[in-house]
Amino acid sequence: MKENCILPEDETLRALLREARPAPSLPPRFEENVWRRIERAEAADASWLDVVARWLMRPRLALAAVAVVAILGLGLGWQDGYQLARHDAQIRYLAAVAPSSLR
Amino acid sequence: MKRSYLIVILALLAGAGVFVASHQIARQFCARNLARADDDLLWLKQEFRLTDAELTRIRALHHGYLPQCGRMCERIAAKKSELEGALTDETNFTAVAEQKLSELAALRAQCQVQMLRHFVEVSQAMPPEQGRRYLAEMQRRTLGFHEQIEQSMSESAGHAHGHH
Repeated sequence: MKENCILPEDETLRALLREARPAPSLPPRFEENVWRRIERAEAADASWLDVVARWLMRPRLALAAVAVVAILGLGLGWQDGYQLARHDAQIRYLAAVAPSSLR
Repeated sequence: MKRSYLIVILALLAGAGVFVASHQIARQFCARNLARADDDLLWLKQEFRLTDAELTRIRALHHGYLPQCGRMCERIAAKKSELEGALTDETNFTAVAEQKLSELAALRAQCQVQMLRHFVEVSQAMPPEQGRRYLAEMQRRTLGFHEQIEQSMSESAGHAHGHH
């Protein structure tokens, strides 16, 4: 019990020891590289479904996919709406100038 | 594996939802903003890229034609009811019914002539290339239907003759 007791002198001693053995600085992009290695190791024995699922779980990729799908939907919807409006306008004109009894 | 399935399926469902929602929103928005219920000539303006001056000329022709067209429609409707009366009164096809049918056909032909004249006038108020396209489109829309029926009837008649 006595050994566990931290004395003020011990703290000073510890600080001195820490200074004497400085922790080496991490290489650049250390964390990113670690994650990449982990992913690579996991991907080695993962099926395509796992790969896709992992891609989808990345917020950036998921957001990009949502944006692409939304833009595609908006574009096709706009095109459909334009065709619909054009068709309605054409029907309206035909109904005005050509009686249905003649068509 | 099971978790991956779930993620992919959920992502697909979410993607489909986003697609359908964005598609519907854009479709409704576009259809509502482009279609103006108060203008019969909107299609002409958009389809044949008319200038304001051309559209004004065509609008005057259109407003001049509509009352003539309306009167002709009334005459056709009256003749049709006369024909129906002639057909229901008798069990046989009478000379009166035949005469009403001929009169109806004549009225329809007259109406078609009037309509085609109007199309020609409108086409002349457009730039030449657009005018030709307009005239071809209107003839196809208004006369092509009869041609299709006649063609299909002559084809079926040909088959029937072939069997006998």
